[in-house]
Amino acid sequence: MLAYYFHLGLRSLRRNPALTTLMVMAVGFGVAASMITYSVFRAVSGNPIPDKSAQLFIPQIDGWGPQQNQKGEPAEALTYNDAMALLRAHEAKRQTMLYPVQLAVLPDGKRDLPLNASGYAVGSDFFAMFEVPFRYGGGWSLQDDDARAADVVISGELNQKLFGGANSVGRTIDLGGHDYRVVGVASHWNPRPRFYDLFSTSGFADEPDFYLPFARALDLHMYTGGRNSCRGELSFTNWTDYTQSNCVWITPWVELDTPAEVASYRSFLTHYAAEQQRAGRFNWAPNVRLRDVAQWLDHERVVPPESRISLAVALGFFLICLVNTIGLLLAKFLRRSGEIGVRRALGATRREIYTQYLIEAGTVGLAGGVLGLLLTALGVGGVGVLFPPQIAKLAQLDASLVGLTLAVAIVATVLAAFYPAWRAAHVQPAWQLKSS
Amino acid sequence: MNLPIRPILVALRRHKAGTVLIALQIALTLAIVCNALFIIHARLANLSEASGVDEPNVFVIKNQWAAERPTAQVDAQVQADLLALRQLPAVRDAAPASGYPLQGGGWDNLVTLTPDQTHPITDSAVYTSDEHFIDTLGARLVAGRNFRPDEVMVMGTQQSITPPTVIVTRALADKLFPGGHALGKSFYAMGTTPSTIVGIVDPLHRQGVSQWNKAYAGQALIWPLRADDARGIFYIVRAKPGQLAAAMREAPKALYAQSRMRIIDPKDGVQDYAAIRHKVYDSDRGMAILMGIICAVLLAITAAGIVGLTSFWVGQRRKQIGVRRALGARQRDILAYFLTENFLISAAGVLLGVVLAVAFNLWTVTRFELDRMSLAYVGVGVLVLLLLGQGATFAPALRASRVSPVEATRSV
Amino acid sequence: MLKMTHLSKVYRTEVVETYALRDFNIDVKEGEFVAVTGPSGSGKTTFLTIAGLLETFTGGEYHLDGIEVSNLNDNARSKIRNEKIGFIFQAFNLIPDLNVFDNVEVPLRYRGMKAPERKQRIMDALERVGLASRYKHYPAELSGGQQQRVAIARALAGSPRLLLADEPTGNLDTQMARGVLELLEEIHRDGATIVMVTHDPELAARAQRNVHIIDGQVVDLSVDPRFHAAHHAASEAHG
Repeated sequence: MLAYYFHLGLRSLRRNPALTTLMVMAVGFGVAASMITYSVFRAVSGNPIPDKSAQLFIPQIDGWGPQQNQKGEPAEALTYNDAMALLRAHEAKRQTMLYPVQLAVLPDGKRDLPLNASGYAVGSDFFAMFEVPFRYGGGWSLQDDDARAADVVISGELNQKLFGGANSVGRTIDLGGHDYRVVGVASHWNPRPRFYDLFSTSGFADEPDFYLPFARALDLHMYTGGRNSCRGELSFTNWTDYTQSNCVWITPWVELDTPAEVASYRSFLTHYAAEQQRAGRFNWAPNVRLRDVAQWLDHERVVPPESRISLAVALGFFLICLVNTIGLLLAKFLRRSGEIGVRRALGATRREIYTQYLIEAGTVGLAGGVLGLLLTALGVGGVGVLFPPQIAKLAQLDASLVGLTLAVAIVATVLAAFYPAWRAAHVQPAWQLKSS
Repeated sequence: MNLPIRPILVALRRHKAGTVLIALQIALTLAIVCNALFIIHARLANLSEASGVDEPNVFVIKNQWAAERPTAQVDAQVQADLLALRQLPAVRDAAPASGYPLQGGGWDNLVTLTPDQTHPITDSAVYTSDEHFIDTLGARLVAGRNFRPDEVMVMGTQQSITPPTVIVTRALADKLFPGGHALGKSFYAMGTTPSTIVGIVDPLHRQGVSQWNKAYAGQALIWPLRADDARGIFYIVRAKPGQLAAAMREAPKALYAQSRMRIIDPKDGVQDYAAIRHKVYDSDRGMAILMGIICAVLLAITAAGIVGLTSFWVGQRRKQIGVRRALGARQRDILAYFLTENFLISAAGVLLGVVLAVAFNLWTVTRFELDRMSLAYVGVGVLVLLLLGQGATFAPALRASRVSPVEATRSV
Repeated sequence: MLKMTHLSKVYRTEVVETYALRDFNIDVKEGEFVAVTGPSGSGKTTFLTIAGLLETFTGGEYHLDGIEVSNLNDNARSKIRNEKIGFIFQAFNLIPDLNVFDNVEVPLRYRGMKAPERKQRIMDALERVGLASRYKHYPAELSGGQQQRVAIARALAGSPRLLLADEPTGNLDTQMARGVLELLEEIHRDGATIVMVTHDPELAARAQRNVHIIDGQVVDLSVDPRFHAAHHAASEAHG
């Protein structure tokens, strides 16, 4: 019976090609617009570390006070002093401080020009906390942190450039005039958005080239290669003055597994701020935050307004296409009132009429979905015209998007067909015999 | 003409579904189109923002140093580099900089009139350069004077130094001293000592173009500082007219001839302003194109939908049209009937659409801090949709008017 | 009032020409009540649609109320239909979307009449057919006889000089048909010219004069008591 309905549907669609084309185009364009913008939205709004996002927290301490802070919110990063204090207290199971650094990879025998490299100064826990995958070797140890070891973890890409992709663990590279021992080579790892550094990046930068010990970077007086935000009068001219200033530039992360640990860490932060107040460093009541990854992404407004607005517009667009489809299906179905009356007179039940028309609508949806898929593929390919390249390249047509496109097209069209089909099913068998 | 509005309304009550669907479609289309037009207009306005730079002839070199050196050595290298650049035959002038208009680099400082003022007056972009900066950019000095060579100070890595003289943009000058007599006045920009305004340029865009600093996009100050950061520096170069390509080819070679311990990225280490503008306004242009496509397709689909549904109605009412013709309706009465019918439905849709359009705009205002939409966009949208409705109805209505009165005598 | 001379109507398709009317002559005087009879397919409906200016004709002349109509444009024809002719169709042809009042109003609207006068005329016409109390009902809520009376009211409201009726009782039972017929006779007594197409001899007998059409031609213009005989003879002659 279903095959029969499908056959009827196809025949009916062929009968008014203009109307059918119009509906298929409406569904196709609507679903494509939604899917293209959704693919971008999905890319930028996804959870970058789904299995741990609820255990990773970023502490914030207000070192600027109510006069200078960000409308009551503490700064988005820590000063050197506060970062060192949290590091020393070691109140979390795992913790890391981090900031971006820019260094040149100096020439060796094979290259005569230095190479630009950007990376992060991080603690040893960084790799375990953020689940960095390794191709060779691994991170460094807590002891290496304390020893300010000249260790480095490099990205697969840098390893390819410097060592042709071979296992380089144990080899030495010269970064900015200092030698570092390669202890690990990371597999491709670039979570998007880059939740761990939203202070210096918009969240969609290229994969970092290296990671070196935080303590080592401080020892070498490496200034941040990222953002630096200060308040009040500035007069520093050297490293020591700078680290004692109110400038914030270090991003802290802690891993807390249970609600109890979270509560305990929160009270630790409050205590710390209260202590600073007592010591006279802060002239205000403790103002601290402890946000997990999701809260942090939200606070930092990582999803670009463009993608949200265009998603909303695209959904509105799709809605209009569906309203359009309802109207056209209504026209199409009721134009055949005569045929329906005859079918009903010949013994078709309402349910059968219903099924027949829903399947016909499903056929339109399928055709619209296929058109939508083609347009989506085109659109995702051409999305670079519409969005900044670092975001555009996130949009991909994968199996789930293909499935979703077809499913949305068919389901939406069938839903749109409910009312027209209901009207069709309520055509009276006798109607045809009465003259109007 | 005697338009039978009441009977049309009565008849529409008997075709609720179709009427509601067309009105709804028009309402939603209006809401989307108004906002899309507004976004397009705002984005296109961004695209044409003035940078204050002689864009056809200026390019920027991002120069990174390979290894850390003391500030004095960096300064010597920077001076040598600048000399080499300025001597190139295709180059008119060159200047060192910590940032450049439109794109990144550099930083902002909060500005106050007294050192102990807790609430800053405003935010200002900070440019650091030497006496060649204004000529190199091609910026216009509208009051006062340029820096003298002896005023230019050296600033090492992450040092906070406040020179006693400053050149500001007119936008900043007007913000700080609304009376218009900024020249010779002093202010504080997060330093312990004040800077005195010796010159005013107009216009000069800040380093970024993001939405959050749009309110003070034209506010910038220039300090006479050679930013000898151990990590790197921007060189801004102005080519002689028509010699941009040659200058862009020669400049990196000249720098590498000075020293090879630097990194000039082969991909985007040297960019002219066309490329910079293209890159920074990427998302604006993309948004405008996307909204444009959506508007066009949307209007087409809505028009097609109206044609489709009206055609259906005409088909359904052939007999009735025949009867009307038999009872004395002229062709143009029939045409007017369908056009009026569409106008009434469109008017209802447009009314709802105006509410939806404003609601959508308010949502973007509260959610994304976009601007309020001017009602002119709504007006244009209303006009466009009413015309669209009439246009889309015209063909089926014309077909309806050609229905022969003899239809009245035919059985169904 | 209505005079056709040597009138012909040809339907052309790509392959054949069919004469619906040929050398058709008829003269209906002002105030006459004429019944037009004939077997189905004889051309009586074509005659009516041409008489009512619903269709154009191919050759010959047609004078309506002294005006030669063949050269009139569509607007002029619409105006004549609206002001001089009233139609009563077999299938009533009320507009289902409009209630009784609005249906009767339709021709008056096209005449550009002011609202108070329209209302007066509508209510007068409905009064006359005995349906004034039902003016808010929709056609679907009325019986066939009532619907036809609304259609008559619609025809009357414009005070036409000529009333064209196409099988006005064809869709009605005997009792309802009788009522409708009485109404027509009453309208005729008030001075209107009526041309009624019917295949019902009993109905035709109530008219002043019968016109018989066979194969697109008028075969007998007199009131003939041997109508049936003539009819049979004609049928045999053409059978």
